[in-house]
Amino acid sequence: MNLFGMLEISGSGMTAERQRAQVVVSNMANAQTTHTPEGGPYKRQLVVFRAQRQPQFPVIMLASGGARSGGAESVRVQQVVADKKPPLLRYEPGNPDADTKGYVAYPNIDPVEEMTDLLGAVRAYELNASAVQAAKSMIQQSLDILK
Amino acid sequence: MPRSMIDSPELQALSRFLDVSASRTELITSNLANIDTPGYRTRDINFRQELERASGDGEFAYADFAPAVREVRGLASRPDGNNVSLEREGLLLAETQLRFQVGVQVLQAEYHRIVSAIKEGGS
Amino acid sequence: MTNPISGLPPALVPGEGKTTGPREWGFVETLRGAIDQAEQLQGEAESKVSGLLQGNGIDVHSAMIAVEKADLSFQLMMQVRNKIVAAYQEISRMQF
Repeated sequence: MNLFGMLEISGSGMTAERQRAQVVVSNMANAQTTHTPEGGPYKRQLVVFRAQRQPQFPVIMLASGGARSGGAESVRVQQVVADKKPPLLRYEPGNPDADTKGYVAYPNIDPVEEMTDLLGAVRAYELNASAVQAAKSMIQQSLDILK
Repeated sequence: MPRSMIDSPELQALSRFLDVSASRTELITSNLANIDTPGYRTRDINFRQELERASGDGEFAYADFAPAVREVRGLASRPDGNNVSLEREGLLLAETQLRFQVGVQVLQAEYHRIVSAIKEGGS
Repeated sequence: MTNPISGLPPALVPGEGKTTGPREWGFVETLRGAIDQAEQLQGEAESKVSGLLQGNGIDVHSAMIAVEKADLSFQLMMQVRNKIVAAYQEISRMQF
């Protein structure tokens, strides 16, 4: 834990939020995609975050302490899943992707919702970056003890 | 006699203060990393309580420094069960970092004082 | 650690010549204690620093504190040793 552990945890947060942002951007870019190679419209993607216990570092049994146990967890994207919401149907009989009734299936993507999500990911990313800075400055100060 | 100067209760308390501050920072880091994890509950330690914990056999203090980690009460939860507050963690991070810095500086000053005492032959 | 107490007369070297006469000052105990402490703190500092470098969960500040303590106790030990040597030399000058 401590030095390496803390940086690893913040790093995991940054990675996870970046992956989340990527998925959101993909959603936004494909909001109008009515035809995919698999057939059917693009399906909105979601990330599933999951907390992860840190592996215990071996503890040095010194009477003077200085080693500590967990309680802190990192995070990772466990999986990317497709949104279960049904696609939006719009009446566009002239569209080559229209079905027999003239309706075209569009991805159920709300640009406002995606943007909000993206901002959330960016903010969380920045927070984790701040935590990295905090850890770095504490390490620097610790070294100053010997000055 | 020489021992108590280098390992005085004051120095032990300062050392403990730094340990507790570092511990808290770890948990804040964990909270921030999991700010979007469904179901994750904010965790923290009782700073004051951990500071006051007895120093064990007095000489080199706590053999088993494992702070009591607990869930923080009174935070609003989002629909997915996550209750990490951006404001709380951000503020706490800044505050804890500052405390750590102050602790280091006091410790430094104390060490310089001891060095002077040694050099002037006062033992 | 090279023998830091060279320069001391045999009677004052901790562990040697214990029975050759009355214990002179309380300095012998003090020096012995200072040496023991310095050795112990030195060992701990080494242990913590290597623990830190191996990523064994040791805080940076914890290792730094251990190093500082080891350094201080060493300085203290040297001071005590110097005082004893100086005192002995002063006294031996008086013996004609």
